[in-house]
Amino acid sequence: MTDNASEISKEKDCCMMVDVELTKVLDKFTAMQGHTNRVLSDVTASFEGFQAALNEVPPDGNLSFEQHALLRDLLAKSREKLRRLTTDHRDIHTSVSKVGKTIDRNFISDLSLTTKSDVMLEERNVHLLNKVIAQHFYRQGKDDIADTLVKEANLSKDEFTQEPFAELHSIWECIQNKNIQPALEWASRYSKELMEKNSTLEFKLHRLAYMQILSKGINAQTEALKYARTHFAKFVNIFQKDIQILMGALMYLPVGIDNSPYRTLIEPKTWTEAADTFLKDACHTLGIIKESPLSIVASAGCIALPALLNIKQAMRKRQVPELWSERDELPIEIELEPEHRYHSSFTCPILRQLTSEDNPPMKLTCGHVISRDALSKLSNGTL
Amino acid sequence: MKDFHPSEMTDIKCEYPTLKVPYEILNKKFRLTQKALDRGLSQIQCFESELQKGLDENAKAADITRLLGGVVEKLQVLKRKADESMSDELSAGLECKRRLEHLRQQYVPLPSSYEVKLAATNRWKKIRLDRMIVEHFLRLGYYESAERLATQSNIRELTNLDIFQTSREVEEDLKKRQTIKCMAWCLDNRSKLRKISSNIEFQLKVQEFIELIRADRRLDAVQHARKAFANYEKDQLKEIQKCMALLAFPTNTDIEPYKSLFDPKRWNDLVLGFRLENYRLFQLSTQSVLGVTIQAGLSALKTPQCYSECGKCVNCPVCQPNFNEIAAGLPYSHVAQSRLFCRVTGLPLNEHNLPMMLPNGQIFGQLALSQLSKDNGVIVCPKTNRIFQQPKIEKVFVM
Repeated sequence: MTDNASEISKEKDCCMMVDVELTKVLDKFTAMQGHTNRVLSDVTASFEGFQAALNEVPPDGNLSFEQHALLRDLLAKSREKLRRLTTDHRDIHTSVSKVGKTIDRNFISDLSLTTKSDVMLEERNVHLLNKVIAQHFYRQGKDDIADTLVKEANLSKDEFTQEPFAELHSIWECIQNKNIQPALEWASRYSKELMEKNSTLEFKLHRLAYMQILSKGINAQTEALKYARTHFAKFVNIFQKDIQILMGALMYLPVGIDNSPYRTLIEPKTWTEAADTFLKDACHTLGIIKESPLSIVASAGCIALPALLNIKQAMRKRQVPELWSERDELPIEIELEPEHRYHSSFTCPILRQLTSEDNPPMKLTCGHVISRDALSKLSNGTL
Repeated sequence: MKDFHPSEMTDIKCEYPTLKVPYEILNKKFRLTQKALDRGLSQIQCFESELQKGLDENAKAADITRLLGGVVEKLQVLKRKADESMSDELSAGLECKRRLEHLRQQYVPLPSSYEVKLAATNRWKKIRLDRMIVEHFLRLGYYESAERLATQSNIRELTNLDIFQTSREVEEDLKKRQTIKCMAWCLDNRSKLRKISSNIEFQLKVQEFIELIRADRRLDAVQHARKAFANYEKDQLKEIQKCMALLAFPTNTDIEPYKSLFDPKRWNDLVLGFRLENYRLFQLSTQSVLGVTIQAGLSALKTPQCYSECGKCVNCPVCQPNFNEIAAGLPYSHVAQSRLFCRVTGLPLNEHNLPMMLPNGQIFGQLALSQLSKDNGVIVCPKTNRIFQQPKIEKVFVM
């Protein structure tokens, strides 16, 4: 946790430093604008004042000696003031460019990882990525964005499968907004499949609906009883205990559910949790992925990129030519979110190499597992 | 309280373009204001010295009044202009500030609960992805898609959409085979373009020359060349000579390099060339942030199993066909320590869930044993469906 805190403060610092410089510039701008307005008004007013005084002099008359002196003085002063105005503004430049330098110093401008294999510059890969992006938006039910992309990027619409996820996504949003009906309809449609997967989803949804009725107060008593009778019967074998507890809630109706131990069952948190359970179980039932592949990869990339760029810098300093080593593996391990690990990986404890089909893990008689390369090296004595 | 996993926090070191682009705008506005002030000053000085001259020559009051009127008028113009461009400066600065605020938003104060933090971070990540996609669209010239996404996700002011609006107009103009808007853009950014020694203005002039010849206005072309190519740079001489030679060829010539100079495809090259110069102007790298991020992410997730028929996993993004193809040329993730998951339960294999091996070499976790065992000690291999009668199940040790 302390590590995190220091990490946060470090990160915050980059923003902070830019912010400090930027605030200085903004303050100077504001002051400058006011100052400029004032100076120009003053100078204009003094000339106008003189103009008014001149009206007393007949048009073909000459200016008096004092007037001459006054105007000369005015001119000299105005010249000086205006000149200072422009230099004052020019002086702000130092602060402005400091903002730029602070950005340059605290953020990474050159994001390219390698000079060798920039796969995203290849047209074929851009095309593939566009397909992934379009699918990402179809998934979220944002068909109009996806359709526009299909048009602009010259994709073919037939390549995209209808996304069952779009419906789930909209139901998920409904639950977040405490509208449980669409979810209940979906759950009863897939009741059998859900039961087969041992999902508690349908019961959880009914429980929420029941509690929602109860929270209306004492007048909803009959409605709640009726609801319980119609919908809970089906779950009596698995959730007997829970149902008993739920029926107990009726006791608290006179004082209100909010003042009872049952209030946790209708807290906002419960709705968020129900929404998440819905998404998880529904995806599981339909055999689709909960998170969009694009989000997962982008998320992983945002973790990996800074780490890789740091390594690149370090390697460049030691004049190691390429970041992507010839071993075809990243030089460092990237710590991803645990749920974003999908495959088992076996690293040979002796050679510290990832095993593959050509170099599979082998079990020794003692039960320890090492890679085949290590085994053959051990047996012919080269290790 | 569950500890916040470090990876759930995000790194903003790579947000360079998010801040640098509005900064460049700010810098430009600053210089425009300076120019307005300088120009206003010199104009006023002109009038003032005339007034001074009037004084020296002891001019009549009417003349002095007239001259004074000129000074006052110029002063008022300057006041208006200065105020306007200083407001522009200020709002450009506030734009930077707004982006900065957004970047800092992801840090929820520490004493909030895990769920709250997670929800905030997830929201921030979603916006970040949408921002990256908008930028990706803009770079590829998918302006309509960018516009829609930015509007629907309500992130317009966090993206560089407005700046790209100009480039969109320039590009559309170029696609219509017109150079007017691009020329105006060059003029607008002349000093900066010179600093990065850009060739784009020259290329435009070459194209204008070619078009005059295509329209068989060869004399006009010569006129144009006289004006446009007079101040050439050293390395442009060769190209100018090549161009001038065009005067001697018919537009349907088969002789190279003149044939390709007449090729209308050059207009597409101009569009791409302009796009590149625009990035350079804002110091954006040639690759989109989304591109590099996806590349890094794919690598971090890529395992050899993603490319073996029997190892694929439906949830793994790298196992999806499109990503699978993109990632083919990328390095694998580096795994310093073995990381095994049970095929049956999906749980990690460790000291609490020891890896066990069936006689056929398949490994699964200790905790899956009860699920795999049928009556009278029969075990069905979860991978091959082979049936074992009371098999010898061995513990394996993975270090």
